[in-house]
Amino acid sequence: MSTRVLTDFDLVLPGSLSEALDILAQNGSAVTVVAGGTDILVAMKAGFKADMVMSLTALPDLDYLDYDASSGLRIGANASIAQVVDSADVERHYPALWQAAKIFATPQLRNTATVVGNLLRGSPAGDCCAAVAALGGSLTMASAGSTRELDIDDLWVAYGTTARADNELAVELKIPAPAAGRVSAFKRLTRVNEDLAKLNVAVSLQMDGSTCSDVRLAMGCVAPTMIRLPSAEAVLEGSELNSETLEKAAAAVQEDISPIDDQRSTAEYRRGVAGVYLKRAVEQACSIA
Amino acid sequence: MQRARRWQWQRIEGIQMSEFKTIGKNEQRVDIRSKVLGTAVYAADVNLPDMLHGKVVRCYEHAHARVVSLDLSAAAAVPGVVKVLGPKDVTSKAFNKSVIDLMASESTAQMLGDIEEQHIFTDHVKFYGDGIAGIIATSEEAAEQAAALVAVEYEPLPVYLTPEASAAPDAVQFTDQKPGNLAFSLPDGMFPGGQLGWGEVDQAFEGADLVIEDTFYTPKQKQCQMEPNSYVALYDDEGRLNCWMSSQMPKLVHEKLARLFEMPMSQVKVTQTVVGGGFGARLGMVMEPEVCAMALAVPGRPVKLQQPREEDWLTSPSRHPSRYWMKLGFKKDGTPAACDARSTNFKGGYYLDGSALASTTGFWLQGMYRFDTLRYKGDSYFTNQPVCGAFRGYGNPQTNFVLEQMIDRGCAELNIDPLEWRKKWHKQVGDMSWLNATPYTSCALDECLDQGAEAIGWAEKRAKYASQTGTKRRGIGVSVGNHTSGAFPMILEQTTCTVRLNEDASATVLVACSEIGQGSHTTLRQIAAETLGLPLDDVRLDAGDSDANGFDIGAHASRTLYVGGTAVMKACEDAREQLFARAAKLLQTSIDELDIDENKQIFVKDSPDRFVSAAKICRDGSFNFANPQTGELEGEPGQIQAYVSYKPDNNSPPFFSTFVEVEVDTETGEVDVLELVSSHDIGRAIHPAICEGQMEGGAQQGLGMALMEEIYFDDNGHVTNNSFTDYKMLGASDMPKMTNILVENPDPYGPFGAKSVGEAGLVTPVGATANAIFQATGIQFTQGPITPEKILQAIKEKGLSYT
Ligand SMILES: Cc1cc2nc3c(=O)[nH]c(=O)nc-3n(C[C@H](O)[C@H](O)[C@H](O)COP(=O)(O)OP(=O)(O)OC[C@H]3O[C@@H](n4cnc5c(N)ncnc54)[C@H](O)[C@@H]3O)c2cc1C
Repeated sequence: MSTRVLTDFDLVLPGSLSEALDILAQNGSAVTVVAGGTDILVAMKAGFKADMVMSLTALPDLDYLDYDASSGLRIGANASIAQVVDSADVERHYPALWQAAKIFATPQLRNTATVVGNLLRGSPAGDCCAAVAALGGSLTMASAGSTRELDIDDLWVAYGTTARADNELAVELKIPAPAAGRVSAFKRLTRVNEDLAKLNVAVSLQMDGSTCSDVRLAMGCVAPTMIRLPSAEAVLEGSELNSETLEKAAAAVQEDISPIDDQRSTAEYRRGVAGVYLKRAVEQACSIA
Repeated sequence: MQRARRWQWQRIEGIQMSEFKTIGKNEQRVDIRSKVLGTAVYAADVNLPDMLHGKVVRCYEHAHARVVSLDLSAAAAVPGVVKVLGPKDVTSKAFNKSVIDLMASESTAQMLGDIEEQHIFTDHVKFYGDGIAGIIATSEEAAEQAAALVAVEYEPLPVYLTPEASAAPDAVQFTDQKPGNLAFSLPDGMFPGGQLGWGEVDQAFEGADLVIEDTFYTPKQKQCQMEPNSYVALYDDEGRLNCWMSSQMPKLVHEKLARLFEMPMSQVKVTQTVVGGGFGARLGMVMEPEVCAMALAVPGRPVKLQQPREEDWLTSPSRHPSRYWMKLGFKKDGTPAACDARSTNFKGGYYLDGSALASTTGFWLQGMYRFDTLRYKGDSYFTNQPVCGAFRGYGNPQTNFVLEQMIDRGCAELNIDPLEWRKKWHKQVGDMSWLNATPYTSCALDECLDQGAEAIGWAEKRAKYASQTGTKRRGIGVSVGNHTSGAFPMILEQTTCTVRLNEDASATVLVACSEIGQGSHTTLRQIAAETLGLPLDDVRLDAGDSDANGFDIGAHASRTLYVGGTAVMKACEDAREQLFARAAKLLQTSIDELDIDENKQIFVKDSPDRFVSAAKICRDGSFNFANPQTGELEGEPGQIQAYVSYKPDNNSPPFFSTFVEVEVDTETGEVDVLELVSSHDIGRAIHPAICEGQMEGGAQQGLGMALMEEIYFDDNGHVTNNSFTDYKMLGASDMPKMTNILVENPDPYGPFGAKSVGEAGLVTPVGATANAIFQATGIQFTQGPITPEKILQAIKEKGLSYT
C-alpha cells in the first residue's frame, strides 16, 4: 500500500566526488544514494524510509558514456539509459546492452534512470543487469581514500543486495572492448510492452567461424539475483554452434535456474521458456554478427 | 477508418430537415481543452478553506474476521487529529452502496431480494481492505499516521474464496438476510422455475445430433478508470450536507445519501465534478457514505477523502468473476436445438447490485441466437473478496467468452463455417430481445459481418490458417453480440431536461446526464443544437448540480445518448416550437412554413426575405418593453423554456461483431494480436470519432479481459496485484492494428436513429480473441484470461491441432 507520509530526511547534494565520499565515510548505512531515483522514489512511496538521501545530481562529470576501441566502454554513474540508446558505439559493439536499453521502460524513465542505478538496485529483473552480466565488466567502487574494481560477477550477493560496502560509491561501469568476432544479444519476455521482465536473457560469445568460446550467458527472474548460466555455458564453450548444441544448452539451463511464482508469471512457465529464450538470444546474437 | 453509409436517412418524427448541420460531424469535444490543458477540476482538485482530511482505517491483516476490540486512543492523540470515529460514532443505519435497488419498485426489489447490509465502519471484516474506523485530521499525513496506531484485536474467520467454499453448510454467514451465503438466485416469482428461457430443453437435447458441454471461468477484472475516487464533503452552517464527487449516477447517489443520513433531499447537495472515467466502477456510491459521515462529525468543516490507487482498487467494485457452465445441442445441419447454462458468480463481501448481474448474464445469452429451446440459471454467492458490481458490458463479456467459444466448438465438430453459422442463426428484427419481452427494432448484423469479414480477409485467412507448420501459428476468429440502449423495460428509465432560451436566443440545456469521458456532453449538445437549429456555440449543457438539474438515472446501461439524447431532443423540439410559434405570428404564417438559418434568423421557407431574428423574439420575451408612443408591449412576454420528463418505450439493442487475427508463439505461449476489426450497427453515428473512441477503448478492455487482466489472491484472500505495477492492461503500443466500421441503419426509436455504443465495444473482442486462439492452436481455453502461461501448459498437455 503506498503512503502519503514522507518522513523527514536530510537531502545532501555533494558538489564533488570527494565530498560525496566523505559523506559516505561519515554516515555509512544511514545514507541512501539516489541517481535517477526511479527505484528509490517508488520505494519511498511504498514506505521505505531514509535518514539521509544523497543525490548524485550535483556531482560534476559523471554523466559520461565513452567508448574507446582499445580500452572499451566507460559509463559514468549519472549516465542515463537514454544515453546508451543514443550511442552508435554501444549499438555496434555491445548489442546486448543497446537492446536492453532500447526496450527499457518508457521514454520518461529512460531519460531519468541510470545504468549504474540499475546494476546497484540488484533486482533479478534488471534489464541492464542481464546485458552487463553477459558482456562482462566491472564497477569502479570509490570510498574515501581508496578505490577497487568490483567484477560484475561478484556484484549481486542476494535478492536486492549487492557487494557494495556502505561507504562506497559506484562511480563507473567498465565493459571491455570486444574482440573481433564477439557477438551479443538481449531478449526479454513481459506481460505488456512497457513492463518489468518476467524473464530476461543476455548472451555474449566469441565466434570463430561457427565455434564459440568465452561464452557468457545471463538470465534474470529465474533466481534471487541475476545469474550466469554455468551449465549452459559449459555446453557451448568451445563447441560448434548448431541446432544440436543449442538444444543441449537450452536443456542445460534447467540445472542453472530456480524460478518462483510471482505476480508476473509462474515458476513452471519460466522453466518452460528459459531454454527457448536462451536459444533465441544466441540466434539473435549470431544473426546480427 | 471505414464507414458505411448504405442506408439513406429516414425521416424521424418531429424533425424536418433535409440536411444535418452538426449530427454526424466530428465536432470538437466540449471538455477537450480543459482536460488536455490540465485545468479540468476533478474531485481531487476541490480544495476548500479550512479543509480537513479523512482516512478510513482498513483491515489488511485478514480477509475475513470479526473485530473483537478497537482502541482509537493512540490514534486520537496524534498531533493534527481532530476526530476519530468507530462504528458507534457514525450512523448505525444499514445501507447498500449500489443504486440498482432504487431502480426497481419496492415490491420488485423485495421479490429480487435486494438487501441493505453495509455499514460505514464494520465489525465484521468481509474482504481484504474492509473499513473498520475513520480518522479526521488536519493533514493526510497525520490521518495516515493515526490510522497506523489504531489498535485492533481480530478474531480471524475462515476465508472463502469460491462460491463452493462459502456455500458449505457450516460456513460463517455474511449476513443473516442471505442464508447459505447465497446472495442471489433468479427468483421464482419473477422467472418461473428460477430460470430464463423457453421450450423443453431436456427433450431437445435428446433429439440433438451433437451435444457439447463445458465449464468456464471468467476473471475478476478491474475497470482501471484513470481518476481514482476522491471526495470532499461539508455539513455546512445552514445544516446542509454537501458532497463533491464523481459518481456516474449523481442523482441516485443524492437520494441514497439523503436516505442514509435521514435528511430531506433538499438538504443534501451533490456536485458532480469532472469524472475521469467510469466503466461501472462508480455506478453507485463508493466512498460517499464514509466521507459524508466524517463531514457530519465535524460540522462546518470540509473533509476531503482521497485514497491511493491501491486502496481505490480494493474499495471500488470490479467485474464479477464467474463460473459458467454451458451445454449446447445441435442438429447435424447446425440447427441450435438447445442451450442450457448456469453462471455462478463470486459476489465479494457485500451484496451491492446483487440481483442484477446474474440476471443480465442470462439476458445476453437468450438475446443472441434463435435456439429452439433455452434454459439459463444464475446465482451469486458471497466470497471474501473486494466487492463486485458493474463493469462495462454487465455480464455480456462473460457470456460472450463462453457462448462464442461453444458455438465455434460446435461449428468445428459439425464442419460448418462459424461466420455462416452466425449469419444464419442470430436473432433478427421482430425476434424477442434480451429480456424476451420486446422485439428487436433494427438489426444490421449481417452487414456488420459482411463488411468486417471483407476488411480482415476472413475467407482467405480462415482457409489459409487451417493447416500450418512451424512454431508461430496464426488464427482468425469472429464473435457477435448485441447489447441494449438503456434499461427499459427491466428497470427504471427516466431523464428530465429543461431547455432555456437566453435573451440572445442562445440556449442552456439543463440535464443531469453524466459525462464520464464517453463524450456524451458533446453528442447531447449536438442533438440540442441540431434540434433547436442553433449554432453549436450557442448551446451550453449544464449538468452535475443536484439543485439545478432534474432527475436522471446516470450513466449506465449504455443509456445516455439514447434516453438522455431523446429527452434533450424532445425538450428542444418544444422550445423550438415555442420560438417558431412567436415568429409565425410576427411573420403571419404557420410554424411549418418556417426555418432558421445560421445567423439565427427565422425565415419563411418560400420567401426568405420575410424573416425575424430569434434573438429579438427572445429578448422581447424577457424584457417586454412598452412602446413609448403606443404603450403597446413589444413582442410576446415570457422567457421561452421547455421541460420534459422522458421515459423511453424501447431499448433499441445495437448489434456488433468483431474479427480478431492472432499469432501464437507455440514455444512461449505468447499471443500477438495482429489485427482487430469491429463493426457496429450503430443506428446513426451522431459523432463518428466518439463512436470509434468507444469501440477502441472497449477493445482495449475486451482484449485485456481475454488475455491478461485478473485480480489475484493469495490463499488468505489478500489481493496481490492491486497496482499498475502488478496488474497489467494493454498499453497504446500493445494495441493491434484496428479497424472500426460504423454501419448506419437508423433505428426507428433512437434519437436521429442512434443506438448505443458505450458498452458494446468491449464485448465481442473477448470471444473473437478466444476463437482466434482456438483456430491457431486447436485448443479452447475455458479459464480466462488466456495467458501465455495457460497456453504453454495446454500445448504441452494437449499438443497442437487445428480447428
Ligand atoms: C515505471 C517504471 C518502469 C521501469 N521499467 C524498467 C525496465 O523496463 N527494466 C528495468 O531493468 N528496470 C525498470 N525499472 C526500474 C528502474 O527504473 C531501474 O532499475 C533504473 O535503472 C534505476 O536507475 P536509477 O538511476 O533511477 O536508480 P535509483 O533509484 O537512483 O537507485 C537505484 C539503486 O541503486 C543505488 N545506486 C544508484 N546509483 C548508485 C551509485 N552510483 N553508487 C551506489 N549506489 C547507487 C541506489 O541507492 C538504489 O539502491 C522501472 C521503474 C519504473 C518506476
